[in-house]
Amino acid sequence: MRWLTLYLRSRRAPLALAVTIIGSATMWTLWSVFSDSREVAVELVVLTVLLLVTTLTATLGGPDDALERTAALPWPPRRAAHVLAAFLVVAGLPMVTLATGARFGPAWLVLRDAAGLIGLTALGAATIGVAKAWFVPLGWTLAATLFPQSEPAVARILTWQTQPRASTAAAVTAGLLAVGGLVAYAVAGPARRAPAEAGQP
Amino acid sequence: MTRAFRIELRRSAALGSALILLVVGVLVLFFAGETSFTTGWMQLAMSQRLFLALLWPLALAAGAWQARRETRSHVAELFATTPRPRAQRTLPTLGAMGAGVVAGYLAMALAGGLWIVRTARYFPVQVIAVTAVGLLSLIAAVWLGLALGRLLPSPATAPALGVAGLGLLLVIPGATRPRGWLALVFSPIYEMNLPDAYTTVPGRVSFAQAIWLFALALAAVLLFAGHGWRTRVAAVLPVVLGAALAIAAMPHHERVVIDAIDPVARELVCEPPVCVSRVHRGLLGEAAPPAREGLKILAKLPAAPTQVHEDTTTYGPTMYPPWHDDVVLLRVRTDASAHLDNRGGTVAEVVAGAFASKPDCDRFAGPAERLAAAYWLIGSEPVARGDYDPAAIGEAVRLWQGLRQLPEGEALAKVAALRRAALTCTVEPGQLAR
Amino acid sequence: MRTVSAAETAPTTYPWAVDAEGLTVRAGRHLAVDGLDLTLGTGVHGLLGPNGAGKTTLMRALATVVKPAGGRLTLLGEPVGGRADLRRVRRGIGYLPQQFGFYPRFTVREFVEYLAWLKEMPKAEVPGATQRAIDRVGLTAKADARMKTLSGGMLRRAGIAQAIVNDPAVLLLDEPTVGLDPEQRLDFRELLRDVGVDSCVVVSTHLVEDVVAACSDVVLINEGRLVHQGTPADLAAQGGDGDAGDSPAERGYSALLRKHRAGEGR
Repeated sequence: MRWLTLYLRSRRAPLALAVTIIGSATMWTLWSVFSDSREVAVELVVLTVLLLVTTLTATLGGPDDALERTAALPWPPRRAAHVLAAFLVVAGLPMVTLATGARFGPAWLVLRDAAGLIGLTALGAATIGVAKAWFVPLGWTLAATLFPQSEPAVARILTWQTQPRASTAAAVTAGLLAVGGLVAYAVAGPARRAPAEAGQP
Repeated sequence: MTRAFRIELRRSAALGSALILLVVGVLVLFFAGETSFTTGWMQLAMSQRLFLALLWPLALAAGAWQARRETRSHVAELFATTPRPRAQRTLPTLGAMGAGVVAGYLAMALAGGLWIVRTARYFPVQVIAVTAVGLLSLIAAVWLGLALGRLLPSPATAPALGVAGLGLLLVIPGATRPRGWLALVFSPIYEMNLPDAYTTVPGRVSFAQAIWLFALALAAVLLFAGHGWRTRVAAVLPVVLGAALAIAAMPHHERVVIDAIDPVARELVCEPPVCVSRVHRGLLGEAAPPAREGLKILAKLPAAPTQVHEDTTTYGPTMYPPWHDDVVLLRVRTDASAHLDNRGGTVAEVVAGAFASKPDCDRFAGPAERLAAAYWLIGSEPVARGDYDPAAIGEAVRLWQGLRQLPEGEALAKVAALRRAALTCTVEPGQLAR
Repeated sequence: MRTVSAAETAPTTYPWAVDAEGLTVRAGRHLAVDGLDLTLGTGVHGLLGPNGAGKTTLMRALATVVKPAGGRLTLLGEPVGGRADLRRVRRGIGYLPQQFGFYPRFTVREFVEYLAWLKEMPKAEVPGATQRAIDRVGLTAKADARMKTLSGGMLRRAGIAQAIVNDPAVLLLDEPTVGLDPEQRLDFRELLRDVGVDSCVVVSTHLVEDVVAACSDVVLINEGRLVHQGTPADLAAQGGDGDAGDSPAERGYSALLRKHRAGEGR
């Protein structure tokens, strides 16, 4: 437990968690106040998931990743656990609302988008670095939220975030991103920065 | 100043922001939905404004990302010992980021402009106003991002602002309903969707939007460049004042932009016997030959039409072109490549147009009858071109076969009678079949 | 009778570049500099002291990063503290912080130019002064390399270049020799002696031999107070055979600290 606490603190996870909870609560309050419908609009659900994912992205890297790499304990399972835990947070918070007056659902869509976006951001962390990892998930999801398209199949893949839950193309895309991100991050870890810059978190 | 500005242009997030706006902007311009900007410059300017829905949140995030540089790089200690006041130190950053988003947006305009430059001839001055408001909105966004990123220097600020920015733009129309003009003040994308050919954005709308965005940008500068709670409180002043002035300047009725028509764009430009609206002037060369050919085919009819005019009907508000019996009305549109839409079907459209009726007529010839008569005159089987109902095509083929079985003179008389009936608004149901 | 204010006559008439009297400076809640009396004029001053002696806090106060909590501090003839306008003083300061922050995407030249601009140097002088500063620290070959590509020692030298770009009247270097190789340290001592001819240079360091080699004056502080001020020879003279150290100066350092601690304990 001691190790876990220190690890989470080194990743500034408590702050990120607090922000995700505040963010979800804000979205929930906004919908409860401004809408009479119980079912939250799908765009807002996707944006909420995106907000949670980008908030948790910062926890994928520590203050000195190079130092962490030199540790004797095996990182891959721990990194994978980190990604899975982030997924549970992102998917779990909207699930809580399903029992309330503003339902962030459907559950399958939340699970799919949470998995895909967490994978995408982990992929970013492993390739272009944690600081910039949110670029692609943000840009892609904003575009997909604004211009969802259902034809042809490639458009369903390109706007997988906002496809209806029955869409196989979207589910497969999200699954590939999730697995790809999980594996890439678990194996490679956060991308290395230039040596001189490493002293600068 | 200039030296520091040049350095910031090269080394801040300005270049990256310009590039991201350009790439994302061009992608959505050409691939998000129908390419509705090909009609002309105003349509391009308005489409760009609509796509601010995506670019605006991105600019906000870019500003917040840049604002974190000082925290990220730990330069506060060193910079605290330098004499230049913070306000002056921030100017190159503000300038560079502003220049970056301006360059990105203008490059996107250039990409769209090159696509339509061969056929888009009509350049109303409002295009400049619409684009200027778009630029101003991006500058306000990137500066607001800088200001908020400075107030909350956390790695999560930038993406959260991006999400919040889009959320805001999506929420504004609903939150201001039923006062749509309020949404028009605060949202640069409102009522910019699917512009039709003769649309415009009234100068007063652009003016009111510019006031608000200018005030927002000013507040952002105060927040970013100033320090201490006094400037932060002072930043509220331009926001309140700008909102009040902008609301006062905005016309207080619904559908201000949707119902706006540019009469100059709708005016006819002629190359007798063919006339198109001014906005479609560049298509005249493509439309005239098939139009003349259509008139030649129609010449077989007694009292044949002698001119082809563009059908400049608008539905918001509903306005019809003046009716003349010797004029055939033709719908003129651009396709995705900015050329005349349905080029192969234009001759048939012109010929079929001779069997149309006045707008207020309720005993007019149906599409199947018009097509059948037209293709009989042309001498080939009706084919599906343009946006006809497939059922109408089937019916037209049936009617056309009926006409073909008749002797030439009898068929011609029937077709001529259909045209007479259409002009006098006395078409009987099934007239062509009888 | 005195009708002319200090500020008006300051640029030419101040007797000491740095003049502190009963200076106290806080680092957090802790008084890191506690009643320090210190005067520094032209020359190279080596600031010595054990870890936690208040060296960095003193440097930060001299660099106008933190305001004094009490006492009087005059830099270049102008009082520092309270609501004083520091703009003129800051134009004459060059500072290399212990943790040197920089923009990784800037090239060395750009970063030094940028700092020259922040120090409000006249526009026309900036390019020349930048080139000169980079040449003096021996980074000419790396002038157009990005900061993020530099090694630790090069970064330190880039930090020194930005500190000297405005020919400061007060140059404050907090552990400038960290990461420099022996050869570079020799060059650096040369540079210090050169700058110290007409400026007040304060070098905070743990390396006693650097102080002996390059400094005209040694300032030893402990627990926020002045322990000793004198020439390197004075310092060396303080030590006896029984004191810890491999050189006379190191033995002098140990002796002074031991005496001071004993005095505190009494």
